[in-house]
Amino acid sequence: MPDRRSFLTGLFALGLCPSVTWADAGSPAFLSAARKPDGTYALFGISEQGRTIFEIALPGRGHAAAAHPHRPEAVAFARRPGNFALALDCRTGETIGELHSPKGHHFQGHGAFSEDGSLLYTAENDYDYARGVIGVWDAAHGYKRIGEFASHGVGPHDVKLMPDKQHLVIANGGIETHPDSGREKLNIPTMKPSLAYVTLKGELLEMVELPHAMHKNSIRHLSVGEDGLVAFAMQWEGDISDSPAMLGLHRRGEDPRLLLAPEDEQRELKGYVGSVALDSEQKLLAASSPRGGVVHQFDSDTGEFLGAIHEEDVCGLAVRDHKLARTSGMGIVCFSEEMAGTQMDKTRVTHRYQWDNHLVPIS
Amino acid sequence: MWKYCLVLFCLLSSPVLAGEADIAAIIPKVVHQHILPGYERLAATTATLADVVPASCGRDPEAVKGAYNKAFDAWMMVSHLRFGPSEQKNRAFALAFWPDTRGFTPKTLASLLRDDDPVIHDAEKFRTVSIAARGFYPMEFLLYDDAFTGNPAANRCALLTVMAKDMAENAAAILKDWQGGYAELMIKADNDTYREPEEAVRQLYTALTTGLQFTAQTRLGRPMGSYSKPRPSRAEAWRSGRSLRHVLLSLEANRQLASLLSEEDADVDRGFDRAIRIVEGIDDPSFAGVATVQGRVRLEALQGAITLTNDLLAEYLAPRLGITAGFNALDGD
Repeated sequence: MPDRRSFLTGLFALGLCPSVTWADAGSPAFLSAARKPDGTYALFGISEQGRTIFEIALPGRGHAAAAHPHRPEAVAFARRPGNFALALDCRTGETIGELHSPKGHHFQGHGAFSEDGSLLYTAENDYDYARGVIGVWDAAHGYKRIGEFASHGVGPHDVKLMPDKQHLVIANGGIETHPDSGREKLNIPTMKPSLAYVTLKGELLEMVELPHAMHKNSIRHLSVGEDGLVAFAMQWEGDISDSPAMLGLHRRGEDPRLLLAPEDEQRELKGYVGSVALDSEQKLLAASSPRGGVVHQFDSDTGEFLGAIHEEDVCGLAVRDHKLARTSGMGIVCFSEEMAGTQMDKTRVTHRYQWDNHLVPIS
Repeated sequence: MWKYCLVLFCLLSSPVLAGEADIAAIIPKVVHQHILPGYERLAATTATLADVVPASCGRDPEAVKGAYNKAFDAWMMVSHLRFGPSEQKNRAFALAFWPDTRGFTPKTLASLLRDDDPVIHDAEKFRTVSIAARGFYPMEFLLYDDAFTGNPAANRCALLTVMAKDMAENAAAILKDWQGGYAELMIKADNDTYREPEEAVRQLYTALTTGLQFTAQTRLGRPMGSYSKPRPSRAEAWRSGRSLRHVLLSLEANRQLASLLSEEDADVDRGFDRAIRIVEGIDDPSFAGVATVQGRVRLEALQGAITLTNDLLAEYLAPRLGITAGFNALDGD
């Protein structure tokens, strides 16, 4: 019979202890990393009003963070290719775990928690073998590594938990890199990106690939709707004058749908989408291109292009309470809402922080 | 390194030297010489419009159009200032809802008129109608579009009257909020809206660059469409022949803001000078000529000049204000 202490620890670990929640960290609506004016980096909690709630210093540039579903904890990933991530207590700013990628692996910048928050899944590149891996970490016990499985592709970048909480969807970017050559892409002529659906044990359930003409379109970022619709955003490694679709939608068992804006708008993306956000209830799909300084919006039901929002160096995107939030490297945090068929900016706050690639909503 | 990571809680910020400019001195100048005069003009001209419409509608259409055009000109001089009081209670949207990508404006207007909706006769209730039927753009339909100018005068004039009143009230409310505290918040920059002058100056800088980008990509880009499919009927305010004028006025407004932010830097001004000279050489007020090769080439040149102006701002103005661009655009991840 477990003693009282280990019972409580267990409850705590499972996120069942009501006394420790995101409210204790000031109820942030979002997390984002940023570069500060003095050149240092930090992870910020951001309020629904676009203001910062807390700030935790980071030792270098971040990419994305994974927010624990219950406890006020965040795992901040270093910029790709990184070999470490920090688990942070957002109430105190303390580091509660350091995640070091195993020898021969690099983190790719994204990770996802299991429903109960006990496990963290991380996208990793097993670079000597040019093999994608999902690392499994015990979030209940100091973020120890407890296993791994194949991502069923090369260069997994993003991984998300499906709404049934029993599956993961993985964006295998398809691009091979090796630390000997930094971020250089080693296999563009033969790259083969994919979306892979796996069980939480890593068994492959479904693999989605795009037609061969699109094989240079690296599938990198994901957003999953409550109804299981998966939005994926890509980065084009082919000739930029092609301006192919940079965004797609997929539902299990169906063919993927690719979404194109009208020609001129499509060119504005410059073959590069940095973040994607899907609100399946509102049927709103948004994708950002920091290179084009633009956010594209589509109707996720019909695939119809709804319009563009121009914002210099925009990248972070998230949907929360049916509001579309975006952040930019120019310090902007902006919330927009639908009015008369168009997204209209409602709240706009300018910070001195250069917001990094991703804005992570806290559920 | 990770082990020594410092934990800082919010509000810990040390003043950092930003470029060379005296940022704290720039902000009051922008507020007093650019923002407040702009909103004063908007409040005054919309108030006049609200007086002229009931007095002259149905009798002296030119008087109504004259007042409308003056007020619209005033709006163009502040249309890039999309922050603070203009964003409260959807005021700016209710003044200027454009582009209307789904055609809500004519649809909503048509249904208000067809049903002789009671809100047409009730200024109070009119404030509850969709922003698509409020402000300068729907008013343009009523004054210039054949589909609406033929409506019975009683009906149409009633709608124009509540519309003008609503615009005047919105403009007055924006001005009142600026004068009654927001200007102070921005200048002092020691509050929750602007925690330091650098935040306020960034707000102004992004208003400037976003304004120019909107002009290049939306005011010009929408009617340009694609080479094979130009879209002159997507031009802003083409019914009243104001499309080119809007480009000119927005360039002039942004030029003034850039000049104040840059303390009259000649390099910053070069781009505006060139773009405005191109505008002055174009004789195509509603962009109808975009459907011809020549017309398109001219607008492309103008669009290029505005984009270049923005590049010059990034090169010469941003560093002076301590702003670095391209954080995400150059990251590639």
